[in-house]
Amino acid sequence: MLGNRTIDRLEKMLDEAMDGRFVESNYDETKLSRLESKWKEFLGTSAISAQNLEAERHRLEQFISDISHQTKTPMTNIKMYTELLREEIDKLNGNASGDIQKSLNRLKKYADEINRQDQRLEFLVDSLTKLSRLESGTLEVKAQRSPVGELLEAAIAAVKQKAKMRNISFVIPDPSESMTEAVFDMKWTTEALVNVLDNAVKYSPEGGKIEVYISETDMYVQIHVTDEGNGITEEDATRIFGRFFRTEEVQQEEGVGIGLYLTREILSKEDGYIKVVPNNKRKGGEFIIYLRK
Amino acid sequence: MSILIAEHLKKYYGEGETLVKALDDVSIEVERGEFMSIIGTSGSGKSTLLHMLGGLDNPTEGRVVIDDKDISTLKGDALCIFRRRKIGFIFQSFNLVPSISVYENIVLPIQLDGKKVDKEYIDNVIETLGISKKLKVLPSKLSGGQQQRVAIARALASKPAIILADEPTGNLDTKTSQDVLGLLKTSGKKFNQTIVMITHNDEIAQMADRTIHIEDGHIV
Repeated sequence: MLGNRTIDRLEKMLDEAMDGRFVESNYDETKLSRLESKWKEFLGTSAISAQNLEAERHRLEQFISDISHQTKTPMTNIKMYTELLREEIDKLNGNASGDIQKSLNRLKKYADEINRQDQRLEFLVDSLTKLSRLESGTLEVKAQRSPVGELLEAAIAAVKQKAKMRNISFVIPDPSESMTEAVFDMKWTTEALVNVLDNAVKYSPEGGKIEVYISETDMYVQIHVTDEGNGITEEDATRIFGRFFRTEEVQQEEGVGIGLYLTREILSKEDGYIKVVPNNKRKGGEFIIYLRK
Repeated sequence: MSILIAEHLKKYYGEGETLVKALDDVSIEVERGEFMSIIGTSGSGKSTLLHMLGGLDNPTEGRVVIDDKDISTLKGDALCIFRRRKIGFIFQSFNLVPSISVYENIVLPIQLDGKKVDKEYIDNVIETLGISKKLKVLPSKLSGGQQQRVAIARALASKPAIILADEPTGNLDTKTSQDVLGLLKTSGKKFNQTIVMITHNDEIAQMADRTIHIEDGHIV
């Protein structure tokens, strides 16, 4: 057995290291002194690797920021040239005949597609940038007690236009009900809720109805978003929150499969979470966002 | 990195005509920080599996490795201490010690181990689980949901390698269950805990990052 004093010293060395204030006590020819030196050296290299990791993280953030910034100009240019292309086609369209007319119509369709893909790219770069800032902690989620009604209002306003284009209507709680408060970051959580609403709009049938309502338990305020779309199968229910996951049925639709992942990340930063009610439990789609009270 | 590996687990009872294969060649791996659920009906072998994973029972064949340690090599006291240090249990019936306060229940595993209580961490856990105002009362004064929240805090307190939860909401109503599961999920993520949860309810299982199904002693 090791002497009690040695054990005590070893335990103290560990405690000091855990508090980040370990210094070697003595320099002599004993094994304990040699062990202290080794211990100091080990702690030193660990500290260096932590520093390197931090530097690496910073570099990555810089890199992402560059990508986001540098891709903006070409994307805007693509959009502009596509617009010019369309105008040119429209000019020709008036006095073209037969085959050329057909060809022009096809050109117009291609221009529309380029535009759609450009928008998709823009959304993707935007989401990835947000995600990287969120994950690297460059942008903080600051949760504080806030009114849930305000959150609903802001999020619905963001998708209203898109919903209107497809004749989709919203049923929302009356303002007196939305006095409820929860602990969340208004800006980020709006983003999270917009992603869910945006999905509901996208997968609703033309002229469908989206209902948003609030319920409460002891610990959470729940925001339910229900739509009249196909919903999510039980099999996909845990997978849809993964990065770049898209269900097979919607492979052809617009979207990149990052919105729900971002939503989940945002909510988990404020001790909330999101779940989906699979479509074997109810008709249509339903997402529930849980915010801490 | 896998924090828990179970390889070819078998548990047979009886022999010949009366041989029952409660578990028949089950292998799973759980990554650090993952929240996994194991779903199965009663008699599917899910509880047997959890008992094997937690070192509460020995497999007929196969092995369980937790935090790089093969637990079949541990016997008696060593196994008991290993469980106390490395595994946090959450049971359907809460299993709190009735004669001591909520706070004492939470720090009990740490004190049994003679370790110093990391106050900042414990306070954070208590705050996250919403039981700050109940610390001084006896468990019997709490509702079922609150008792289970205390049990979660206790499981998190000793920073185990893995938390095993056996039907954690089996004794709770739907609304309370949702709270308890939400807290289990979010606190697991927050404190980077690995959780394996057993349930018969697919809606509860869905709270996890990953779900595996067990039927007649097999993973399907």
